[in-house]
Amino acid sequence: MLQNKAFLLLLLSFLLFLNCKEDPGIDRKLPALIQEDNSIAYAEGFSITNHSNFKVLTVNNPWPKAEKTYKYVLISKEDAAKTSFMKDEYDGIIITPVTSIVVTSTTHIPALELLNEENSLIGFPGSDYISSEKIRQRIDNGHVRELGKNEGLNTEVLLELNPNVVVGFGVDGTSKSLKTISNARIPVIYNGDWVEKTPLAKAEWIKFFGALYNKEKQADSVFKTIETNYKAAKQLAQTVTERPTVISGAMYKDVWYLPNGTSTEAQFLKDANVDYLYADTKSQGSLALSFEAVFEKAKHANLWLSPSYYSSMEALQTANTHYTQFDAFKNNAIYTFANTTGKTGGVLYYELGLSRPDLVLKDIIKICHPDLLPDYQTYFFKPLK
Amino acid sequence: MITSKSYTIPFIVLAVLLLLLFMVNISLGSVSIAFNTIIDSFFTNSDSLNNHQYIIQNYRLPKAITAVLVGSGLGISGLLMQTLFRNPLAGPFVLGITSGASLGVALVILGSSIFGGFLATFLLTKWSLVIAASLGSFLVLLLVLIVSSKVRDTMAILIIGLMFGSITAAIVSVLSYFSSAEQLQQYIFWGFGSLGDLDWNEVTIFAIIYGIGILFSILSIKGLNTLLLGENYAKSLGLNIKQSRLLIIIATSLLAGTITAFAGPIAFIGLAIPHVTRQVFNTSNHKILLPAVFLFGAIIMLICDSIAQLPNTDYMLPINAITSLFGAPIVVWLLVRQRKMVF
Repeated sequence: MLQNKAFLLLLLSFLLFLNCKEDPGIDRKLPALIQEDNSIAYAEGFSITNHSNFKVLTVNNPWPKAEKTYKYVLISKEDAAKTSFMKDEYDGIIITPVTSIVVTSTTHIPALELLNEENSLIGFPGSDYISSEKIRQRIDNGHVRELGKNEGLNTEVLLELNPNVVVGFGVDGTSKSLKTISNARIPVIYNGDWVEKTPLAKAEWIKFFGALYNKEKQADSVFKTIETNYKAAKQLAQTVTERPTVISGAMYKDVWYLPNGTSTEAQFLKDANVDYLYADTKSQGSLALSFEAVFEKAKHANLWLSPSYYSSMEALQTANTHYTQFDAFKNNAIYTFANTTGKTGGVLYYELGLSRPDLVLKDIIKICHPDLLPDYQTYFFKPLK
Repeated sequence: MITSKSYTIPFIVLAVLLLLLFMVNISLGSVSIAFNTIIDSFFTNSDSLNNHQYIIQNYRLPKAITAVLVGSGLGISGLLMQTLFRNPLAGPFVLGITSGASLGVALVILGSSIFGGFLATFLLTKWSLVIAASLGSFLVLLLVLIVSSKVRDTMAILIIGLMFGSITAAIVSVLSYFSSAEQLQQYIFWGFGSLGDLDWNEVTIFAIIYGIGILFSILSIKGLNTLLLGENYAKSLGLNIKQSRLLIIIATSLLAGTITAFAGPIAFIGLAIPHVTRQVFNTSNHKILLPAVFLFGAIIMLICDSIAQLPNTDYMLPINAITSLFGAPIVVWLLVRQRKMVF
């Protein structure tokens, strides 16, 4: 039975392919039944391929060093009824457009809003972290169920919600609760936006959501705008001659954690044309340096961006008197995004910073080269008081 | 009968070694600093320090002093516990002191999400963890003391201490479950131990409480030596068991409690240093053992810290990794070489 269907499918595709051949109006890159969708410019973690009546969403790096590639079929309800897939070939079949969704990270929230799909969100783990006003309203009206925590999702509630799709993220493999959910026939797809290596690549994951809602065009145009703004800001920053020196991070106990030179944070600083003192470092994860090394190198840094979670100068000083020795501390040149929060205390940068790299870059440019953007108000970063 | 005279030379050697290592520890770090700068920085007014002098005076010196206090204090409290329980596996933490401290710290770091705002603002001060850890270990200790006045058998106290440990571990795991990643990271990092983030005020308070603990341990020397003969025999010699036990427990908890509060749970030192000392000095007389353990503990902690700093690189390692990684094989080697344990 299955084989028959597969054969039919092949035949169908073949006929379609023939059909394609006779149509000179279509620009084909591959002489196959598959048309690569080349609209993904920066992101390496996912791709979307168009087939005759369905799309395949491939996520190949849901977490660092992931060994398995995840493939999901995106198909309309009508076509799904007509088609049968080899279940083993795909990790999930999702009926598009998605009308009810559960996402698990605040970084997924802006995409819903940018695509005007915030009404499809029906559940979220740890909804206090969400800052988006539109979605906060839905939470307050009881339209979004609380699902506990990402590491220990409340499986029962999630099963009862029965969303069209759950967008999860894994840190190093599948979480148990996500497994249970996919066993219950609720498709779980992994989002690897945070694994991407550049700010624009992270932002491009809006196209991943675009595919779920059949809103590829809207996702493309949103991303285009962000990309154009980002590049324009970067261009503007290249015009300056004075590059202030910048230090970042803070100590935990006597170890100073800072973003390494290949991190997204460091790339923002590079694109803002500032002299990040640790731009040349290459390591996995954060740099963990001894206090004295940082003290010697960065005592005279002009600016200090995001001193960890500290929310005031006083907090910095009580945490460690050594901080007061830094020029940036003495000159009140410390900026943080930790105080820009939503109504329920979620840090806005963690939610929106990934999808709006243009705003992050402009913030940094405004702080480091104030003359370049005279009318711009910083969005995430505020001076530490 | 061994007189303390025959130990004069090893003590002098150890004391000189301690001084040397103290200087070595201060001169090593991520930033290489010229020796004359090090000497200068002891005599420079704190308002006119350059970078290197600031590092020496306000970072390395407190760190080296902390290492001495931590190493010697843990060694001594380990010795006291091993003798009290007549168990070579006992360490400073068998009474549940660390578990109590961990619980206090866990409540502050992990509990802020559960208990809300008050604790979050409490976290702002550096003292919060120290106070929480001290309170935690003090409460556990109080329970142990109440219990030990009820039970006659010292072994029962050991079991009870272990039980307290299990209870606190269970509470910590519940707290962990409801905490955010950042909070967990903070708590886990506290568990790695750290010698280097104390300022002079903290070191002073640390030293005062530590001093009181040392005083109590000196007072308990006679009791310790008698206890070696066994509790029943000690009683027949007219030793007030309960009173000696109380002295020993108070000394240990003051030492281990403050050390855990200020430097986190430092692994291994408390268990191993008394064994190393016994192997080298080959005696069970606490009049000799106590000062020897003091010296050995301080020396080994200074060495461990110097290694953990990974001199002349920008990186460093958590102190707990070093204490066990380098310490355990040494103890194994000592025991194998001697073929028998001095205990």
